[in-house]
Amino acid sequence: MLFEVSGICKRFGRIAALSDVSFQVREGEVLGLIGPNGAGKTTLLECLAGVLPSDSGAVSPRDFSSRLFYVPDGIAPWPSQPVDWALDFTIGFFGGRAERRDEVIEQLDLRPLLRQSIGTLSKGQRKRALLAIGLLTPQPVLLIDEPFDGLDLRQGREIAAALRRHAARGRTLFLSIHQIGDAGRFCDRFVLLSGGRVCGEGTVADLAALARARDASAVYGNMEEVFLALT
Amino acid sequence: MVARSWWVLLLAMGPLVGMSFISSVRTYAEVSGLNGTSGGVGEAMAPLIGVWAPTFSACELAAVFLLPFVAIRLVAGDRQSGALKLELQRRMPAFARIGAKGLVLLAGWLAAMLPPLSAIVLWKSYGGALYAPELMSLVAGHILNAGLTIALAAAMAALTEHPSTAAILTLSVTVGTWIVDFFAAIHGGFWERAAHYIPSAMVAQFQHGLVQLDTVLIALVLIASGLAVAAIWTRLGVAVKRRAYESAGLCALAAGLIFACSLVNGSRDFSESRDNSFPEADEEVLRRLPQPLTIEVHLAQEDPRRNELERRALSKLRRATRHLQIRYVSRTSIGMFEETSPHYGEIWYQADGHKVMSRVTTAEGVLESIYAVEGVAAPPDTSEIVFRGHPLAVPPKGAGTMFYVLWPGIVIASALIVRRRLR
Repeated sequence: MLFEVSGICKRFGRIAALSDVSFQVREGEVLGLIGPNGAGKTTLLECLAGVLPSDSGAVSPRDFSSRLFYVPDGIAPWPSQPVDWALDFTIGFFGGRAERRDEVIEQLDLRPLLRQSIGTLSKGQRKRALLAIGLLTPQPVLLIDEPFDGLDLRQGREIAAALRRHAARGRTLFLSIHQIGDAGRFCDRFVLLSGGRVCGEGTVADLAALARARDASAVYGNMEEVFLALT
Repeated sequence: MVARSWWVLLLAMGPLVGMSFISSVRTYAEVSGLNGTSGGVGEAMAPLIGVWAPTFSACELAAVFLLPFVAIRLVAGDRQSGALKLELQRRMPAFARIGAKGLVLLAGWLAAMLPPLSAIVLWKSYGGALYAPELMSLVAGHILNAGLTIALAAAMAALTEHPSTAAILTLSVTVGTWIVDFFAAIHGGFWERAAHYIPSAMVAQFQHGLVQLDTVLIALVLIASGLAVAAIWTRLGVAVKRRAYESAGLCALAAGLIFACSLVNGSRDFSESRDNSFPEADEEVLRRLPQPLTIEVHLAQEDPRRNELERRALSKLRRATRHLQIRYVSRTSIGMFEETSPHYGEIWYQADGHKVMSRVTTAEGVLESIYAVEGVAAPPDTSEIVFRGHPLAVPPKGAGTMFYVLWPGIVIASALIVRRRLR
């Protein structure tokens, strides 16, 4: 086990965004955080990354935050700077992996965008630039909010393959994904979040067994059916 | 520093400085005898007051109305674009991160100060006199003022969710300092003391070549506090309640430090004309006054005689002697209906039981009364070493081209090149 989250709670006024969220992250796995819109996926990732304070709960070991890097969704950091500046800044500021710069650029097809300022990129292009920033950071755990959002089918598959290659090198990925089909194909294990609560944790088989325990007569052929049964 | 707001600041500096430099050089030339006007008056002209204070006042204008937007853009822009969420994951002290941004902004400000600095080169080419210490103190004053603006704007940008709110609050604080100045002019007392430390008053001191230690220290405390508030509120991962407590603690600490700094004495007059000092021989006598001196001034806050007395004599006296107590006595702020009071207009000097009364508000008159009440001899007349000024009767040749054409051209060309490189 790489780190363990226990009892994380977060409220926004009267709304409980996260309630007693607990799960484990294992070394080298691709863990999918799945749940419907408003389930609290982004809130959970931000609490773990330390960019949003949680109300209570703990993560062990205590130095876990220095071992992860979080790539938010829907941001356009340093909008007036070109992509290659952002990559160089990532390497310099975060102590990133300079030797992987070219490889990441090729994997994410960023070469034509290097001189373009980040603020002028399309949603999909920006997502690729953000993923590149994340992949260049040195932390062993990468938290990515919606890594496939805004990408077309081909790009989605290419990026999934690229992320897999990085996971194969021992990097742990914790991905928030709302497209259940994508998540089912890509992740090793899942944390199922609904209404701010963890509804299940484990592999597709584990979650299917959990769903069957609730309704023994049902048959679950894929992750989407399991998701609907548990949320 | 590729933000449009910075380029706008750079662009505006040329015409702003040009206008003030050209008009001040023209006025200086006229009083120096150009075109046959009032020849000889220029003997009293000092470049610091005649040329550099108005020329560099463009910096004050830019620091109030343009620089805050550049600072807000840099600090709030990170929050808006999401860059802050990435930057916060580098586990570095928040103050170091915001301090680095402050230094970048200061570097940007130094670039924006190139037009007034190039005015110095032009002035020299006209054959104008330069006195480096007074010029350096003026430049330092404007850098310190920019530091205050940057710290204030950074704090506001960090405290608020939206840059426009930060801009409104920053300008509100600036307007607030003007209100303090206005209150000081009417009510005196605490307000007068507070108004002594507002940015415009601080810049005015530097414009006269006066560097006061308490003012500089308080400005530095305010800059550090502003940046610290910004650092506290950019830590998005810390609970709001804790950030509020930390800010309150910081404000209390800053208030204590400001009070302590206000008690610090020490100043230096860098002006070539010794605009803020009595003649050296008089200062030598004043430093060795045998008895503590008390001065009671029966003049209302808004009476022009009181301002003249303060500016021409008492401000210099405070710097020259330690054992001094000055009391202002008046029942009203404008003094109009006090004129008929028996003692109105009187200035009483007391030392060791002796009393001398005078109504004179000039430096010479005040010194004469002090020497009389203290029973010391006035120093011998040293008029031969009095500053006579550097008259210069030349038109501002080439300044229009420099500030209205060349500088804007360079800025626009640079902006286009940077923009093209980014595409």
